[in-house]
Amino acid sequence: MRRIWEALPGPTPVKAFVATVGVIVALVVLVVLFEWAGDFLDSGGAIG
Amino acid sequence: MASAQVVVRRLGWTLIWAGLLVFAFLAYQLFVTDLLNSRTQAAARADLEAELADRRLDLPVPAAVAVETTVAEVEPDETADPQEAQEPDPPLVTFLPEDPGEEGAAFGRIVIEAIEVDDVVFAGVSRDTLKKGPGHMVRTPVPGQPGNAVVSGHRTTYGRPFYALDELEHGDRIEIETALGTHVFAVRRTLVVAPTDVWVTDPIDGVWLTLTTCHPRFSAAERLIVQAELVAGPNLEYANLVGETEPLREEPT
Repeated sequence: MRRIWEALPGPTPVKAFVATVGVIVALVVLVVLFEWAGDFLDSGGAIG
Repeated sequence: MASAQVVVRRLGWTLIWAGLLVFAFLAYQLFVTDLLNSRTQAAARADLEAELADRRLDLPVPAAVAVETTVAEVEPDETADPQEAQEPDPPLVTFLPEDPGEEGAAFGRIVIEAIEVDDVVFAGVSRDTLKKGPGHMVRTPVPGQPGNAVVSGHRTTYGRPFYALDELEHGDRIEIETALGTHVFAVRRTLVVAPTDVWVTDPIDGVWLTLTTCHPRFSAAERLIVQAELVAGPNLEYANLVGETEPLREEPT
C-alpha cells in the first residue's frame, strides 16, 4: 500500500484525490464484475 | 534461491487477493443484494396501498361474458320437433378484467404462507425489475385473469423470494393481491425445465399462475416451475366454466 501511495504523482492533496478516484473506479468495476458473475448463481428465474 | 522466494511470496499474495475477491463476491451476492432488496421492498410495501387504490380507478369495467363450454355429444332425437331444437344460449358470467401495469411499477403482493413469502410484485421481468422483487411477465395475463400468468423471482440473491419454492406441495396456497382483490391459487404441479423452455408460459384454459425461479440453488442452469390453479377470487366463477379439462402439458408439442 505504501509503495502504491508513494508511486502516485504530485503533492499529498493530489495523491489523496487520485487515490479516492482510483478507489471509486475500482469499486464500480468490482460491482459490475460481481453483477455479471452473479448471473451464473441466480439470473432472476425468468424464462426465455 | 532468492528468486524462488520471490516467486513463492508473489504467488502467496496472489492467492490471498484472489481469496479476498471471492469472499467479497459472496458477501456482495448473499448480503449486499439482500440489503438493497429489503430497502426497495420496504419502500414498495409502504406505497402499495396507494398504488393499488390508483390502479382501482383505472380498472376496466366488469363485463358479463358468454362462455362456450364443451358438452358431450348426444344422439339426435328423431321424434323431436326440429323447430324446437335450438342451440342453448351459452352461460353468462361476470368477468372482472385487469391490465398489466407499467414496466417496473409495483402492482400487487404475493403471499405463500407455506414457505414464508410475503413480497411486493412488480410488472416486468427485466434484470432491474427482478432486483426489486418478484416480477410479472407482462406479455402474460395479470394473476387472476384467464390464461397463464407468469411471475419470476430470484432464488438465492436479492431477497431470495423463491428460495424454498421447491418445498411447495400439491394443494399449497399462493395468494396474490392485485387492484381487483385477492386471488388464491392452489399448487397443482412442480417441474424443472431448461431456461429456454418458454412453452411453460403458454396459455392454459382457466385461470392459472406459473412461478419460475433458478434451479438448483446457486445455479442458473435450469428453471424450477410451479403451476397453480385459481381456487378463490373475483374471477373464480369464470375460471370454473373455462377451466382446464385436459392434463397439463408435459413438454412442447
